[in-house]
Amino acid sequence: MTDRNDEKMAPENEGPNFEGAGLHGDEPTTQQDEASFERQAGPLLTRESKSQGRIVWEQFRRHKAALIGGWILVFMYLTAIFAGFLAPYGINEYRRSPAAAFRPPTQIHWTDPDTGKLTRPFVYDVVESRDPITRQRVYEDVTDTRYPIKFFVHRPSQPYKVLGLFKSDLHLFGVDDPARIFLWGSNNLGKDLFSRVLFGGQVSLTIGILAVWVAFFLGLLLGGIAGFYGGFVDDLIMRLVEVFAAIPGLFLLIVLSSLLRDPNNPLAKAFGLQMTSAQTFLLTVVVLGFVGWGGLARIIRSLILSARELDYAAAAKALGASETRVLWRHLLPSTASYVIVDLTLSIPGFILAETGLSFLGLGPSELDTASWGLLLRDATSRGISIQFVPWLLIPGIPILFAVLCWNLLGDGLRDAFDPKKRR
Amino acid sequence: MLVYLVKRLFQLVPTFIGATMLMFLISQLVPGDFFKAKELEPNVRPETIQRMRAEFGLDKPVYVQYVTWMKNLAVGNLGQSFVSNQPVWQRIANPMRNSMYLALLSLVLLWAVSVPAGVYSAVRQYSVGDQTVSILSYLGLATPNFFLAQVIILALFLLRTLTKDWFGYNQLIFPVAGMTSSNYLSLTPFGKFLDVMWHMLIPSLVVATSGMAGFTRVLRAQMIEYLGSDFIRTARAKGIGNTKVTYKHALRPAIIPFVAGIGSVLPGLVGGAGLVEVVMSWPGITPTFLTALSSQDIYVVLGLLVITTILLMFGNVLSDLLLAAVDPRIRYS
Repeated sequence: MTDRNDEKMAPENEGPNFEGAGLHGDEPTTQQDEASFERQAGPLLTRESKSQGRIVWEQFRRHKAALIGGWILVFMYLTAIFAGFLAPYGINEYRRSPAAAFRPPTQIHWTDPDTGKLTRPFVYDVVESRDPITRQRVYEDVTDTRYPIKFFVHRPSQPYKVLGLFKSDLHLFGVDDPARIFLWGSNNLGKDLFSRVLFGGQVSLTIGILAVWVAFFLGLLLGGIAGFYGGFVDDLIMRLVEVFAAIPGLFLLIVLSSLLRDPNNPLAKAFGLQMTSAQTFLLTVVVLGFVGWGGLARIIRSLILSARELDYAAAAKALGASETRVLWRHLLPSTASYVIVDLTLSIPGFILAETGLSFLGLGPSELDTASWGLLLRDATSRGISIQFVPWLLIPGIPILFAVLCWNLLGDGLRDAFDPKKRR
Repeated sequence: MLVYLVKRLFQLVPTFIGATMLMFLISQLVPGDFFKAKELEPNVRPETIQRMRAEFGLDKPVYVQYVTWMKNLAVGNLGQSFVSNQPVWQRIANPMRNSMYLALLSLVLLWAVSVPAGVYSAVRQYSVGDQTVSILSYLGLATPNFFLAQVIILALFLLRTLTKDWFGYNQLIFPVAGMTSSNYLSLTPFGKFLDVMWHMLIPSLVVATSGMAGFTRVLRAQMIEYLGSDFIRTARAKGIGNTKVTYKHALRPAIIPFVAGIGSVLPGLVGGAGLVEVVMSWPGITPTFLTALSSQDIYVVLGLLVITTILLMFGNVLSDLLLAAVDPRIRYS
């Protein structure tokens, strides 16, 4: 909490990176030495010196787990971008009658039941009844008609936009009414969980990245200023960080997001906001970033405090560089490797925080978005016994994967930037 | 040491005042207040509402409210709950105690699992066991607590169908909601204790998972670093046995940051048990907090925020003191 504490904690937690950041300063000199040495030694030892970026990339490529994590993330983000195309149904599409509530995942038939041979995959329509004793829902296939799964179907009633630009109504697959295809079952209103998980990724996967940028901006700005100018400004900013750190994060998040999303709150009134889904989304981003900037500011401050005393900063100053130039050209770039790693590793935290908020119903609103946390909320709503509708827990799996892969990616980057761990 | 302690405690004062101001400011973002909703009820006279507002001082400007609230706080009075019309202390005492139980048990579980797992992974680096631990800890870090709780509840229900089919035992092995059984009041004191423990085990295990994952990973890294250092080689050269080297020479310094972490873990767990308490209907702080927030019972909200903030701040001081106590390299004078 005090300055002493910062200096004590920093090397302990971030030891390797700390040095990694400092290495940037030494880098040019070592390369120069190498170059002059090569000139003396002649062509025998000629070897192109690698740039820092190249070294990091080569190190990163050897990190199998991080690479796999990265590729899974690419896949997940692609499915989120093309959610409209991959999803057979719209985000809030459901049928009033006959309703298809709590349908288990639809069974896809690959073989002809009469001949037992492979056939075009098809599904049956399902009728629902209640078990007379247990009062549980029972589903039965109507085997009269087969509904083949069609690919590349146009559904004019369910248009979507890719990246908010390209409008289309082409869906990868679908079946004719009245049959429905629910790959991962349906919820209490008969909305398709598979489609909703795909659309939910658009919210849950982006919110972490956006919130990190908010936290990054605030942390870099305030941490940079505090570390560079010191004195009164430093004290003020660091006390502010302490104030934020003193209030338990979860409660602060809950209070802020529950108060701000009320359409009558003073801020919303001042800006004339109506709380649409997009705005609750942005609000969640800002609240997450606002609560999360403190740690980053503290770290950047201590990095800059130590970098300010290094020779190259003094040299730049001696050459007549202005304070702003020293800060922006020399000190902040020296924190880059650390910041990249730290940002990557804080994205999963923000994703978890968002799903938690959404789980409480305090994230982006349900109107025309879905979020994985919000979908998991369905599984605990009143009157639901999870053992009869286990598929409602499926949205937790992509959360797990997203967080896992971001962690793997971040660890890989950290090792790649760390000169101690070069392989 | 004492001078340092006094200095630290004094430093907390401005932070605390800043935090309370921030909380109060945020609480003012609420449109209307608890009595706004009362105005809509036809059987409550406007004069009554006026009187109650005046009673709570809500008709005064914000800074006056803040000063009054702080004055009361200074003498240990957190105000009155609007909803249950009882002192905030009474309203939040039980939930805080319940959350504290959960936090303590999960702290015990955290240490009981992480230390052996971390040491094993470090000693048998790259073995199958190490890799299993590593994968499990990655998964533990990635699973949201509330999701894990849901999955465990599902698993318990599925287990019940199994035990029913095989042994004719149609009961859940662990309860999935609440803190006590229905026959709680008729139990002996020891039976009550066992009953609560039985209810606590699953939620505290869930709360501890992410902590376990992080703890194990860091302990493993620390142990590996210490096991490769010179003084370990010296110890081995002197002929000290493997067990002693591992547990006495390497584990002791490696565990120091975690000992210090206890101080910060305690309030962290009280706040962090959060969503698990909601999923498993544990009568702890978070459900109380959410109810108070949705009913605009603002003094209960503020009371809980203040108490957890105080816990957090003292926890941090406690961490530093513990660190000094266990680490001979750190001396505060």
